[in-house]
Amino acid sequence: MTEPTSLSLSRRHLLAGAGVLGASLVAAACGSSTSTKASPTTTTGSTTAPTPKPTTAATTAATNTTATTAAPPANVDAKIATLAAGLEVLAVGTYKAALDAAGAGKLGDVPPAVAEYVKVSMAQHQAHLDAWNAVITAAGGTKVTAPNATLKPTVDATFAKVTDVTGAATLALMLEQIASATYLSAQKVLTDKSAIKLAGSIQIIDAQHAAILLYVLGKYPVPDVFAKTDLAAAA
Amino acid sequence: MPVWDKPTIAIDERAMEALIEHSQDLHTDAMAVGRATLPDLADLAADRRRLDTPADVDVLAACVDASRSLRRRLTVALGGLLGAGAVSSVFASSAAAANGDIDVMQLQTAVSLELLAVATYGAALTLPFIKDGNPVIVAFAKTTMSQHDEHRQAFSAQTKALKGTDQTAPNPKYAPIVEAAKPTLKAPIDVVKLAATLEQVATETYLADLNRYTDVTSRVLMATVMGVECQHLATLRAVGALLTGGAPDLIAIPLGAGVAKLPAAAGSVAFPDAFEGVTMASPPEEGAVK
Repeated sequence: MTEPTSLSLSRRHLLAGAGVLGASLVAAACGSSTSTKASPTTTTGSTTAPTPKPTTAATTAATNTTATTAAPPANVDAKIATLAAGLEVLAVGTYKAALDAAGAGKLGDVPPAVAEYVKVSMAQHQAHLDAWNAVITAAGGTKVTAPNATLKPTVDATFAKVTDVTGAATLALMLEQIASATYLSAQKVLTDKSAIKLAGSIQIIDAQHAAILLYVLGKYPVPDVFAKTDLAAAA
Repeated sequence: MPVWDKPTIAIDERAMEALIEHSQDLHTDAMAVGRATLPDLADLAADRRRLDTPADVDVLAACVDASRSLRRRLTVALGGLLGAGAVSSVFASSAAAANGDIDVMQLQTAVSLELLAVATYGAALTLPFIKDGNPVIVAFAKTTMSQHDEHRQAFSAQTKALKGTDQTAPNPKYAPIVEAAKPTLKAPIDVVKLAATLEQVATETYLADLNRYTDVTSRVLMATVMGVECQHLATLRAVGALLTGGAPDLIAIPLGAGVAKLPAAAGSVAFPDAFEGVTMASPPEEGAVK
C-alpha cells in the first residue's frame, strides 16, 4: 500500500462532495481515512469473537466515530497502573508464600518443573511490578507496595486451605487469569502509548503462565478462541 | 447517491452564515495541519520509493489523527446544516481510501498471518508423522487451526467494518518461507518449530500494533487474539522442549503422575522473558491489500 496514492484518491472524492468549504480544508482534513468505525464492544467471557458490527447506516457514521475516539478521563492511565501494580504485588506475595510453604514441606512433593515455574513466574511478576511502579513514579505518583485490597482476602482465605501442589497451582491459575484479563480489559481505556504496550506485553506473559498451569493441572492449555475479560479486576 | 444529486435541501441562511464562519476557522486549522503533515508524507513517500523501505507508521498515524480530528469537526459543522445522513453520504464516497488507514492495514496484515497459520497447520496435518503421531499434537494442530480461522474471520469482519478491503491472501513475507520449509519437515519437532515461529510473529505483530490503533474496538479485538496466539506459542515451546529432550511420552493431557517426571526446564521454557518483545513483528503494511 503506497500512502500517497490512497491519500490522493481520498482527497479527490471529498473535493467533489464538499467543495463549498474549500479545497485546502478538505485536502488537509481528509488526508487519509474516511472509515466508519464500529462501536466499541466489550468482550465478556465469551469464546466467540467480540464481533465487530459493520455499520450499514451511513447516518450513524459520525456518531460511531465520536464514540470510538472519545477521550477517557486523563487519570484513567494512572488508575490502571495502580491497579496493575497492586495485582503484581499480590502475585509476587502469593508465589513467595507458595515457595515458603513448599520449603517447609507443607505442599508435599513438589515436582522440579513446578518449583522452576514458581521461581521464574515470581521473578517475572516482580519485573512487571517494577515496570508499573516506574510508570507511576515517573508521573509523580507513589510506588505501590500493597497488594490489591479487593482480592487479597480471597487469596489469603484460599491459600490457607492449600495443602498440595494442585491446590497451589489452582490458586496461581486464578491469579494469572485475573491478571491477563485485567490487562486485556485495560486496552479499552488506556490512552498512553507506552502503557498500552506495557499492558499488552505483560498480558502475554501472564496468559502464558496460565497456559502452563492449565497443562500441569491436566487441562487443555489454550481453552478459549478469544481471550476473556470476565475475570478482570476493577480499577 | 451523491449529496449534490439529491432533490432539494432547505438551507437555513443563518446556519449557512455560521457554517461559513466556522469553515473559515477550520480552513485555517486545516492549512496548519497540512503544512505540518504533508511535507512529512511527501518525504516519507520519496524515501520509500527510493529505498523500498516500509512506511514510518508513527508519521502515518500522526497524519491520520490530525485528519480525523478535522473530519469530525467538519462533520459536525456540515451536519448542522444538511443533516447527518447527507454528510455521511459525502464521506462514504471516499470509502475506498480506507485501505490507506493504518488501522485497516494492520487488520489486513493480521488476516494475512491468520490465513497462513490456517494453511500451515492444515498442511502439517497431512504429514504422516503428525496425523498418525501423538494424539495430543494432532488435537492441538486441529484446534489451533480452527482458532486461527476464527481469528481470521474476526479480523476480516473488523476490516470491513472500517470500510477496508478484506485480505484474502496469506502473508507475502512468510508464505514463501513456509513453502520453502515444507520439504524439510521430517519430524514433529520440525513442524513444532515452524509453527512456533508463526505464532511468535503473530503474537509480536499484534503487540506492536496495539498502540498504533486509533480505533479502540480494533485494538481490543487484536489484544483478545494476541492473548490466544501467545498461549499457542507457550504450548509449542513446551512441546518442543519435551521433544528435544527425548520425552515425547510427557506430551499428554491429562499428564497425571507425569507432572513429577517433567524436567525442571519445562516449568519456564514457555516464557523465557518477563516482557514480550516485538523484534519479529510484521510492519502494518506487510500484509495490507495493495
